[in-house]
Amino acid sequence: MSLKYALFTGCVAKGAGRELMTATELVCRKLGIELVEMTDAACCGAGVISEDNEMVADIINARTFALAEERGLDIMNICITCQGVHRKCQVKLSSNPDYMSRVNAALKEQTGREYKGTVKIRHFGKILLEDYGLDKLRQAVTKPLSNINAGAFYGCYALRPHEYSDLENPDDPDEMERIIEALGAKPVKYPERLKCCGFPILMMNKRNSMALSGNAIKSAKDAGSDCVITQCPLCHLNMDAYQPEIDPDLNMPIVHIQQLIGLALGMSHDDLKMNTHIVRPTGAVASI
Amino acid sequence: MLSHDVLIVGSGLAGLRAAYEVVGHLDVAVMTKVYPSRSHSGAAQGGVAAALANVDGDSIEAHTYDTVKGADFLGDQDSIEILCGDAPRTIIEMEHLGCAFSRTSENKIAQRAFGGHSFNRACYSADRTGHALLHTLFEQSMKLGGSLQVYSEWYVVRLVIEDGICRGVVAMDIKTGRLETFHAKTVMFGTGGYGRAFKITSNAYANTGDGIVAAYRAGVPLQDMEFVQYHPTGLYQHGILLSEAARGEGGYLLNGDEERFMQKYAPSKMELGPRDIVSRSEQTEINEGRGAWPKKDYVLLDLRHLGKDKIMEKLPQIYHLAKDFIGVDAITDPVPIQPTAHYSMGGIPTDNDCQVYLDENGARITGFFAAGECACVSVHGANRLGTNSLLEALVFGRRAGKKMLEATRETDWSPLNEKAELAAARLEIDELVHTKATESLADIREELKTTMTNQVGVYRNGDDMESAAEKITELQDRFTRVKVSDKGKNFNTNLIETLELSHMLEYSELIVAGALARKESRGAHSRTDYPKRDDENWMRHTMAFRQEDGGYELRYKPVKITRYQPEERKY
Amino acid sequence: MAQVTFRIFRFDPEKDKESRYQDYELELEPGITLLNSLNRIKSEQDSSLTYRMSCGSAICGSCAMRVNGHALLACKTQASGLVKDGVIQVDPLGNMEVLKDLVVDLEPFWKSLKQVDPWLQPDVSDNPENERLQTPEQFQRIDDATTCILCGACYSDCNVLGVDQEFLGPASLAKANRFIFDSRDAKTRDRIEFISEMNGVWDCTHCGECSTRCPTEAKPLARIMEVREAAMQAGVHNNNGARHALGFRETVGRSGRLNENYLPPRSVGFLNIPALIGLAPVGLRMFMRGKNPPIIHHSIDKADEVRKIFSKFEDYRHHPTRSSRPDDGASD
Repeated sequence: MSLKYALFTGCVAKGAGRELMTATELVCRKLGIELVEMTDAACCGAGVISEDNEMVADIINARTFALAEERGLDIMNICITCQGVHRKCQVKLSSNPDYMSRVNAALKEQTGREYKGTVKIRHFGKILLEDYGLDKLRQAVTKPLSNINAGAFYGCYALRPHEYSDLENPDDPDEMERIIEALGAKPVKYPERLKCCGFPILMMNKRNSMALSGNAIKSAKDAGSDCVITQCPLCHLNMDAYQPEIDPDLNMPIVHIQQLIGLALGMSHDDLKMNTHIVRPTGAVASI
Repeated sequence: MLSHDVLIVGSGLAGLRAAYEVVGHLDVAVMTKVYPSRSHSGAAQGGVAAALANVDGDSIEAHTYDTVKGADFLGDQDSIEILCGDAPRTIIEMEHLGCAFSRTSENKIAQRAFGGHSFNRACYSADRTGHALLHTLFEQSMKLGGSLQVYSEWYVVRLVIEDGICRGVVAMDIKTGRLETFHAKTVMFGTGGYGRAFKITSNAYANTGDGIVAAYRAGVPLQDMEFVQYHPTGLYQHGILLSEAARGEGGYLLNGDEERFMQKYAPSKMELGPRDIVSRSEQTEINEGRGAWPKKDYVLLDLRHLGKDKIMEKLPQIYHLAKDFIGVDAITDPVPIQPTAHYSMGGIPTDNDCQVYLDENGARITGFFAAGECACVSVHGANRLGTNSLLEALVFGRRAGKKMLEATRETDWSPLNEKAELAAARLEIDELVHTKATESLADIREELKTTMTNQVGVYRNGDDMESAAEKITELQDRFTRVKVSDKGKNFNTNLIETLELSHMLEYSELIVAGALARKESRGAHSRTDYPKRDDENWMRHTMAFRQEDGGYELRYKPVKITRYQPEERKY
Repeated sequence: MAQVTFRIFRFDPEKDKESRYQDYELELEPGITLLNSLNRIKSEQDSSLTYRMSCGSAICGSCAMRVNGHALLACKTQASGLVKDGVIQVDPLGNMEVLKDLVVDLEPFWKSLKQVDPWLQPDVSDNPENERLQTPEQFQRIDDATTCILCGACYSDCNVLGVDQEFLGPASLAKANRFIFDSRDAKTRDRIEFISEMNGVWDCTHCGECSTRCPTEAKPLARIMEVREAAMQAGVHNNNGARHALGFRETVGRSGRLNENYLPPRSVGFLNIPALIGLAPVGLRMFMRGKNPPIIHHSIDKADEVRKIFSKFEDYRHHPTRSSRPDDGASD
């Protein structure tokens, strides 16, 4: 089965988190997963446009879904916020045919496009588990990360509300841990792994935002984690770029899950642009 | 010692409505063993009655007659006239205070059918009417801010009445276990009903008749205690209430053969017969082997034909209760139900201004009021119509408030012996906690509840009730040796449950006594050995007086009739 | 019947220096709820076990507690679904102080609720003899919000309250929604302005815990999002949250993609010099690592389609009602 997806990059992977884009492309190429970047897809709205106008946000996302359907491909998200927002929109449309037809009417009027409701929308990690398979991933590993204790940080949009989550048990998930394990690393489950990173209120209440990130990083550290693994570049941004302001002594590398996989596939820190992180790889992570 | 001009015990609709009337004029406090928003008024689902005539040609007269007839002619008709006459004003007032009511297509308060009512009279807020009303008054109590003191999680241990004058209460701060005397010129009880003595009941764990028994122990008689309403649609085995609105909106009752059995018992009203008749019909079906599979000990509430949209719009709570508690999807399957002990018609006897009677001749206690389910005015007589209880709490809560305001202003402080009262309360608790004890609280409670449901339930007879009376005496004896394991002070729910059980044992005795003495069938009191109503001998209220030795004496008082002479009840 | 270990948080400040967990073994009968399981433990094994309960039918909100780390209502939850490796771990609600075992001090919760003036404030000059009229749709508009039972489950699991007790919290914001959208209330704008301030509606991270734990249809997160939309529409824009939403609209509406260089100064306000200076350190850090967003912001391909959609912004303002919106939260 050839694995080919419409890649929805999201804004951050094209902006402040370009290393995520690099790592995703490198890892997918190595694993034989073909990506077609949706250069014409618009920002998912991150739950912010819907604060202003929910229906506009839904029309924009319906357009994105239509673009993938036109290409005959399922969507791969690499940002869990985009994933959560897309899924919420998709569930809302599919459970309410009346609303869907209004959204489609607007979409058609402005763009001539139509969302049919057939596209599958998943995050990179879920695609890896479901379509690629952990056994194959294990076989692809050339450099098992046996000396790394890795604490997964899921991100709210991966988990809640439950009906938009594609995890098997969003109150106690293990999907990220299973990937970490397949790479030969030791997953660390720490108390704050399902909490919020605080990024969405960075501009509204920086103190609370940083406290949330700080608590999560400390919790991972206390549990013996060498690094925090994220699947959302916004969590990454808050925990990495603001870490010196939260507590400079934390010194906790924050690693996109694609980067962790890249390391296990034999790529270097430079390949994966890990040196662009504010917190440079230290300890066990640096030694790979 | 703390003091307030007016102390209201109970924070349900009656208590909060009364407080609303008094606040700003006098120093008033509300005390509750839970929090106001957690009072059991909030559990009422289907509606609140008022002849608004928003959807049909209803009238206050029709409401009055329906209530008199529903009560099987044991209700006091002067009180019922007040209840029904004040209903429209009451509903409008609650709407103005913010209660969110479902609406008609003309944007008025929506009204639906309910058992025993001859018009669409039940004003409702989906199927959470009590919740909507209670939260509205709770919101108003927050608006009053500091001028209304609320003592949440306080538990009344003693009511102090001396020489016919009420002087206050002794209560325990549940959080700390501290006993405190509350001196008051006026005390009002809105402490709710007593259904918890039954195994299958829709009542909250809190509904253990605490106020009723505190009054009884302080020398107040209790009226018509034998009248306990069994609601026809309790969730099978849980007893949880599934609103009568389910039938008001067109739900069917089916037996095990999927027959709408109500055509045998109330051919014109069918499922919308009054509660006593529907519950008996269900029990007959079950007793005669026509219950539903597999144990044939329940019947079915069928909503399927109403369709998903109507169920989710009008009866969402019922849908969720069936789904969460027994895993039945009411959209696709009929819901197993059985009669459940639901409402206490009996209680603390009061006049129409809610002042409490001291005896059967009309003497009143100075400074003591009661309203709502704990009171017996009596507007419900032998059987309450659905949606009349929320109404009663609001109408009589307000009346109590008005009268208390007037009376308290004219009242001086009567002395209260704090030391003696505290000591008495302390002793009662210490005896419970520190006696060398062997009996299990849970065992006594379970045996009591099983006895009450099995032997003093929908159908009653002399033999069963004699045996229940003996059992209760035995349990009361065992209770003197009950074990309280938690010796701590703060948040001692073990102790609270023990005090509650002592109340349940005390009033259960009166339920049985009143029922044994009443040799007839009337409303919710249905005896297989006396199946007929006997107006000549029994159209009168039971009054139970506590004796020095802890025993009781039954006396009687006549029913007040204004317009409606007793007639046979047919539906 | 399965044997299950209930691992229950115990703490009695009269006796205990520290909290502990105590294990109780119970045979789970089919269909038994968590609350009835606790009642059996209290009756049969340990009468000192302390928790709140009252109605037993999911309407009073007394028996909210945490199981396996998440808040729920004990009376309406089947115990069998909570077993994890043979154990059900029961804790008191979070974000509040423990008084004893599973009982917490609810005062902060009530205090927060009172801050939003949770009572109807109609136009005082309009005092009709009969009921105020309201269309069925207007009733529906507040129907979900009014189902709140004030159980505190959302307050317990709210992530922001975990770091800042000054935050109004999900239940209070849902209560504010209930009055903002009540057609009979005359203080809509005052209410919106109040909760647009610090610690209000814009301080929520939309982590989704509240709606996921909510045992009713109140679903605070959905209510918060509705209020934000109402605030935007009412033009209450003088705060970072609203400016952030406006900035998002502006940049995505122009180019189809977020301009990360534009949004932060837009959010704090272009004339807000201290806040702009506050943004400098992180900007500098990112610049030094080459992690700053591209200086020249690139549009997506076919951005004109997006511009067209945004040009009809006000036409597409969608007001969800119960009938047009799926539950925004946990299954219920």
